[in-house]
Amino acid sequence: MAEPKTKYDRQLRIWGEQGQTALEKSSICLLNCGPTGSETLKNLVLGGVGSITVVDGSKVELGDLGNNFMVDESSVGQSKAKTVCAFLQELNDAVKAKFIEEYPEALIESNPSFFAQFTLVVATQLVEDKMMKLDKICRDANVMLIFARSYGLTGFVRISVKEHAVIESKPDHFLDDLRLNNPWPELKRFAETFDLDTADPIVHKHTPYVIILIKLAEEWARNHGGVLPSTREEKKEFKDLIKAKMIASDEENYKEAMEASFKVFAAQGISPSLQQIINDSCAEVNSLSSDFWVLVAALKEFIANEGGGEAPLEGSIPDMTSSTELYVNLQKKRSTKAEADFLVMEQRVRKILKKIGRDPDSISKATIKTFCRNARKLKVCRYSLMEDEYNSPVQLELQKYLTDEDYSTAVGFYILLRAVDRFAANYNSFPGQFDGEMDEEISRLKTTAVSLLADLGCNGSNLTEDLINEMCRYGAAELHAVAAIIGGIASQEVIKLITRQFVPMSGTFIFSGIDHKSQLLLF
Amino acid sequence: MASEQQLSAIKGAKVLMVGAGGIGCELLKTLALSGFKDVHIIDMDTIEVSNLNRQFLFRQSHVGQSKAKVARDAVLKFRPNISITPYHANVKDPEFNVDFFKQFNVVLNGLDNLDARRHVNRLCLAAGVPLVESGTTGFLGQVTVHIKGRTECYECQPKPAPKTYPVCTITSTPSKFVHCIVWAKDLLFAKLFGDKNQDNDLNVRASDASSSSQQSEDVFERKNEEDIEHYGRRIFDHVFGYNIELALSNEDTWKNRNRPRPIYSKDVIPVEPVSQNGNQAKNLVAGNPSSISAMASLGLKNPQDLWSLKENSAIFLEALKLFFSKREKEIGNLTFDKDDQLAVEFVTAAANIRASSFGIPLHSLFEAKGIAGNIVHAVATTNAIIAGLIVIEAIKVLQNDIKNYRMTYCLEHPSRKMLLMPVEPFEPNKSCYVCSETPLTLEINTHGSKLKDLVDKIVKAKLGMNLPLIMHGSSLLYEVGDDLEEDEVANYAANLEKVLSELPSPVIGGTILTVEDLQQELKCSINVKHREEFDEEKEPDGMVLSGWTQPLAVEKNGKGSTDNGASTSRVSETTSLVMEDDDELQIIPAQIAKKRKLSDISSAASSDASSFRNEAKFKRKAEEADNNNDVVMLDGGSSENSKKKREQ
Ligand SMILES: [Zn+2]
Repeated sequence: MAEPKTKYDRQLRIWGEQGQTALEKSSICLLNCGPTGSETLKNLVLGGVGSITVVDGSKVELGDLGNNFMVDESSVGQSKAKTVCAFLQELNDAVKAKFIEEYPEALIESNPSFFAQFTLVVATQLVEDKMMKLDKICRDANVMLIFARSYGLTGFVRISVKEHAVIESKPDHFLDDLRLNNPWPELKRFAETFDLDTADPIVHKHTPYVIILIKLAEEWARNHGGVLPSTREEKKEFKDLIKAKMIASDEENYKEAMEASFKVFAAQGISPSLQQIINDSCAEVNSLSSDFWVLVAALKEFIANEGGGEAPLEGSIPDMTSSTELYVNLQKKRSTKAEADFLVMEQRVRKILKKIGRDPDSISKATIKTFCRNARKLKVCRYSLMEDEYNSPVQLELQKYLTDEDYSTAVGFYILLRAVDRFAANYNSFPGQFDGEMDEEISRLKTTAVSLLADLGCNGSNLTEDLINEMCRYGAAELHAVAAIIGGIASQEVIKLITRQFVPMSGTFIFSGIDHKSQLLLF
Repeated sequence: MASEQQLSAIKGAKVLMVGAGGIGCELLKTLALSGFKDVHIIDMDTIEVSNLNRQFLFRQSHVGQSKAKVARDAVLKFRPNISITPYHANVKDPEFNVDFFKQFNVVLNGLDNLDARRHVNRLCLAAGVPLVESGTTGFLGQVTVHIKGRTECYECQPKPAPKTYPVCTITSTPSKFVHCIVWAKDLLFAKLFGDKNQDNDLNVRASDASSSSQQSEDVFERKNEEDIEHYGRRIFDHVFGYNIELALSNEDTWKNRNRPRPIYSKDVIPVEPVSQNGNQAKNLVAGNPSSISAMASLGLKNPQDLWSLKENSAIFLEALKLFFSKREKEIGNLTFDKDDQLAVEFVTAAANIRASSFGIPLHSLFEAKGIAGNIVHAVATTNAIIAGLIVIEAIKVLQNDIKNYRMTYCLEHPSRKMLLMPVEPFEPNKSCYVCSETPLTLEINTHGSKLKDLVDKIVKAKLGMNLPLIMHGSSLLYEVGDDLEEDEVANYAANLEKVLSELPSPVIGGTILTVEDLQQELKCSINVKHREEFDEEKEPDGMVLSGWTQPLAVEKNGKGSTDNGASTSRVSETTSLVMEDDDELQIIPAQIAKKRKLSDISSAASSDASSFRNEAKFKRKAEEADNNNDVVMLDGGSSENSKKKREQ
């Protein structure tokens, strides 16, 4: 394996070959290559994205040496985009690196179609009105967009994509798909071949806990009018029932059954969030629908028909104490069912594709299989247009954040980050940026922020003086440590978006270097 | 925009960075750009290809060079006017003593293993220097602050000890793939290619213990002039055939277990003239030893493919042959290295053949490598975030801004709408044996265990001492160091082999031992309790140390959603997510130790900071939440409470 993959070994273990291939096919555009932008792109170049295009019209100044690692004294006076691009190219020669010496602000105005060529645009350090314009351009061109900005000890990251569907959401913890209280016929029949009261201690000790629970759940239901334990007392009673079946204290399988007993009480059928996805109007597919929604449409049919209210079975099975033979047998039962479910899903997908006038084979078997395996974990993320959020945020939400002590810093910075742009539009500089009279700057910023809040229909009294002073003290400086953090977070979200794995963050992420409380605000 | 005071604190600071890996590269750059002027950096490692996806100061052309030195040069190239002092050395070397540590204002850890972290913690405590500790795994990371007397030290919460397996599970009754990997790596590979003088439990003990051990020793030696093909098959048949037959003869073992199946090479790969020519030709092309590969010579390309028993057997024989034909000089000195392609191939194949014998599912090379190398996921993004947080924390420490110290956890999935989770540092644990003087209790069979067992299994492995000294009252039982007289060395060596109760100053129930590490300036006392019997499965050490903590709950054998390594994505869950940058971590049991304040946190149903440290534990909590019916709402619904509690 003396191939380039060795370099990516550690990350392949996170997102797999498919994720890596998606990265390698992507083309990323960076707007402004100050420290925030450079750091974001550095992480992506290391990860092996296909190509990068750095857009920045400025020249390297002495001041840049203080916060941007990718420029040095010898590059002062030269194009910043060129210098940063050269540094990045050196990090990974598999990446195609290009630069364009032009101000992104000008490009947004003069050449909006420029952005359509990219998979994703990372827009850093843009002011509000330019963000809104770019947002519309990218939305229309169906290009993913992520904003990142560092400002003193604060900063934000926000994704803007019309819709992002995730099949492999890889949640931290998820209940195994065991169907303990709703076994399919073959599993039920298999369970019936066991006798929990067997006299053979070896058999007793090696009955997998899944079987124990299926049988006891059934027994319970039989004795309780078909209803499973629901109250605390009943659940305890159910555990005691398991315990009573033990014939020796070292029976790990029974201990496992007790620990897992709560899995019996899990609701049958699909989760509310999956219900919401199959109820989405996009699940009514037509020839323009994406593959994802075609798959969802098939899933919806499956759940209503063959699935009997359940999604396709996941093939895998957790470890458990059991004889190897029984374990393998159980595994076979599951993989047979999973395979059967997959075949039904495949048929439904092909039929739907045909119906909407697409090539029935245009979605691969492998994709359908992955979809089936992850059917219970699907996620759909949608992001509002920047303009909608900025001009008419949900006033109620905003007011709620403003009065919630837990969010006061985050929402304060959110408002102030917007207020400084208004400030800059009015006074041609950011508060505290130059050696002006600090007190005057502070009171101007306060007025600006309060009037911004008033425009949004909110009361400004919740903004603290401290935070306003702090903001003026920042003087629009881009600190390297903060840029590294914001850039790290932005690049992480880019990876989630491009690999279509994990769930990207929703809302606006606000970093606070004061208390590290870094929250997501949802409007 | 930094205040004057802040700037002068940064400029005047002398900083020690330990580790120049994933976090270290980011950290050094961020320090340089945040105004730090005097940075010292220790790292014993050299650069590997698999570092290049995140350790951005290194290039392909640097592979094999010192990380500390290359990192220094790379940063100086861009920022020539700061002082960076590199040490290509182990932080545990005696030159890095308490006096060395005392010269720094703050120590920043970007380490990849528990041992070194504990060592640095002790030196920081002894020298009274603040420590900022960090670690990342995949998208998870954390930064914590440790100030003597003010906050908990790195060891106030006992760290999960490296996972150990009972010897008999590995040698005769494996039930999971990881057992086969441990066998292939630590026994078979070590026996064939490593130091011949090391103790090794590879050979199965037959029911009659008298079976000629002398003879079986020789089995692994390649006889003079022995054809390599013949030798390979002989080894194969011995370990996968004969040894299994021998094990099967221990009827008692199999009463409750499935009997393994002996495998002989001729049944898998019929003996016939092998098409050596083709293979030879291909191998000759590959000049450099790191590119020698059995996969390549057999035309297997994808490391993620699952090989059949036949393919595994072919790889096994081919890899063995390649070691003897292309890397003969190294034989006798090899230790398993996850970046050694041929070694990974050999271990994967051997583990799979054994797994197949015991009816355990086989794994791909990619997966096996992850398990064998205890490889932790690593990506540039998390390291960048963590390094930024370290610097912000270090600046607070330099300004003595105690009320704003935070431990920060970086999450993979937002919890409570947070991606970064700040937590106020805890107070020192009053019963921590490292930063307070709490005696420990050791249960041990004083008539059966030797001093050596005590030194290896407790003093070094559990207490993490590097250069220990053991005293009973005023008499010295054991000591290491360069300045010992010859007779002392001989004396201590003799003591090591003695049973505790037969030492010159006998150690029996009721004895109080003093154990000290002069380099770490750590001293603790151990109350010895005599105990005859230990459970081989649950207490494989044959002794139990307790005191500052409850012993870690012993992993349930036979089950283990937590230690099977069934897929590589699981590996991270089996390892402690808290601390690993990359490399060298050992498989660690998933339970996180009981923690002083954990009780109040977990009473709030779902804890944030402490529980996410370990996904497996989070799962466990999930399972405990059954009575509340809220198994699905784990994302910290009620963690508000826990946070408020802590802030009081
Ligand atoms: Zn402590």
